[in-house]
Amino acid sequence: MGYPLRKAVSGLLLILGVTFISFLLMVWFGPEQTYTLVGKNATASQIAEVRRELGYDQPFLQRYADYVADLFTLQLGNSNASGEQVSRILARTVPVTLALMLPGFLLGNGLGIALGLAAAHRRGQWSDRLISALSVTGMSISFLVIIIALQVLLSTPYGLNLFPVRGWQVTDFSSYLHYVTVPTLALVLITLGYNTRFYRAVFVEESARDHIKTARAFGASPVVILWKHVLKNSLVPIITRIMFSIPLVVISGSLLMESYFGIPGVGKVAFDAITSGDQPVLKAVVGLTAVAFVLIQIATDMLYRLVDPRVA
Amino acid sequence: MAGERSIWAQLRADPAGLAGLAVVGLFGVVAVAAWLGWVGQDWSAAGGGRWEPAGPDHWFGTNILGQDIFQRSIYSVRTAFEIGLVVAVLSTLLGALLGALSGWYSHGWVDASILWLKGVLDSIPFYLFVAAVAFALQGNAWAMHVAMIATFWTTTGRLVRAEVMKLKTRDFVLAARTIGLPDRVILRRHLLPNTVHILLVQASIAFVAAIKTEVILSFLGLGVQDGVSWGLMLAESTQEVLAGHFNNFLAASLMLFALLMAFNLLADALQDAFDPKQAAQ
Repeated sequence: MGYPLRKAVSGLLLILGVTFISFLLMVWFGPEQTYTLVGKNATASQIAEVRRELGYDQPFLQRYADYVADLFTLQLGNSNASGEQVSRILARTVPVTLALMLPGFLLGNGLGIALGLAAAHRRGQWSDRLISALSVTGMSISFLVIIIALQVLLSTPYGLNLFPVRGWQVTDFSSYLHYVTVPTLALVLITLGYNTRFYRAVFVEESARDHIKTARAFGASPVVILWKHVLKNSLVPIITRIMFSIPLVVISGSLLMESYFGIPGVGKVAFDAITSGDQPVLKAVVGLTAVAFVLIQIATDMLYRLVDPRVA
Repeated sequence: MAGERSIWAQLRADPAGLAGLAVVGLFGVVAVAAWLGWVGQDWSAAGGGRWEPAGPDHWFGTNILGQDIFQRSIYSVRTAFEIGLVVAVLSTLLGALLGALSGWYSHGWVDASILWLKGVLDSIPFYLFVAAVAFALQGNAWAMHVAMIATFWTTTGRLVRAEVMKLKTRDFVLAARTIGLPDRVILRRHLLPNTVHILLVQASIAFVAAIKTEVILSFLGLGVQDGVSWGLMLAESTQEVLAGHFNNFLAASLMLFALLMAFNLLADALQDAFDPKQAAQ
């Protein structure tokens, strides 16, 4: 099989797997909405009517086939709970999540790369040890503890009381800064320990290679070596880490932030859909995340070819 | 791989690792004592007033229901070890088994299926997966454990697969095949014992991940169902801190930090002890 075909087949199998497992867990074994929708004192025929409308009376394979067909034709349908179009729910919540998570995501990775480079550059010296010790400390603090501590320190009268405790009333740039600062700081602190440690290991491994030793022997300056050789040759692991953490940070990470700060983003919507059994919303979020993962894998592969001609 | 004696010697020469081991051991003793019913048994008794400050009767004060925060944080050590040990041991064993099969039959259909399963599990957002498992198991107290074991094995699986693929071309494995030993004997007797260094490090990383995950799941209402844990205490404290009551928050977060830091230091020291070449970098 040729490379693009192989990639397409494995991507398709991955999407089928994710949709199958999520269908099995979230739809087949998930909560039913029938009794929420029919209300009190429903007759048996009313219940059967609602079950038929929602498709609960269909056999397993039929329902799974419908689910996949809906996903591939982008027929996302309406939310069972609110009746709102799923595509409109996504259009409303995804931008909020991106606005909430993007600054912290970029800062967390940027600072991680900078600290990792600094530590790898002074390997074994006290500044490297300090950075490494702080990374392990950061990795040992629970996400929830960081969020609570920052909230107390920055948003309550027990601390500086500069920012709102929770919510998301964003109308312009200054109100955006007002609401996004505490979540952003929290996300940076949560991810910085892991990022710094990962990037330091990448840079340390890269600096130990023979061509770096050669460059050093020829008297190239440490800064030139760091920028031109170490950083450039570390692009593949850096790209991999950033690309693969996008879907997880956007969905899993935002769920925690959005639940804690009461922000109407897609993570919270997906979580509420699971706990209430709102299947059209779930189908869309989980299915589209799987598709995004596969697309990201393909995009990452293409990026590799750009930065590393040997892969092609 | 270094011999057992030199691993211990390496570990002894690493003060941070030793400190980590000592603190983990101390927490372990407290966990066993709570499990045997010696300490922390009054965690649910409402023996005080609402939000009493720290004092001789209640060392860390009381919570909104008048429960003793010291007792609750001590009993939570047991909860943390129960979750950490169950998840770490089972997810590491599952990873060892699937990784070894995948590596031994590499590039065949067994390998392809296991890699596919790993890819699928890695593509489902974790908290949504846990929420779904919790609902599929209808609020069962083990739903959280099942979800973590089902997803945490993938890293161990990947590392063991690579190691087994490397080992299976070695002479001792070729010799075992030549004398006609069946595959499962070679895997169990000759290959898996040579991956113990990976398994130990991965188990301690999984322990840390399990305890950290419990905190978030308990906050989301998907974690510990009956009993008490640092996660439940922190979930309680999210409302209390806004009213200026910090005892619950401080007790749970400091104990949690001490145990996680100790385990991280121990995991690092184990990694260095098993892989001195990497440590020298």
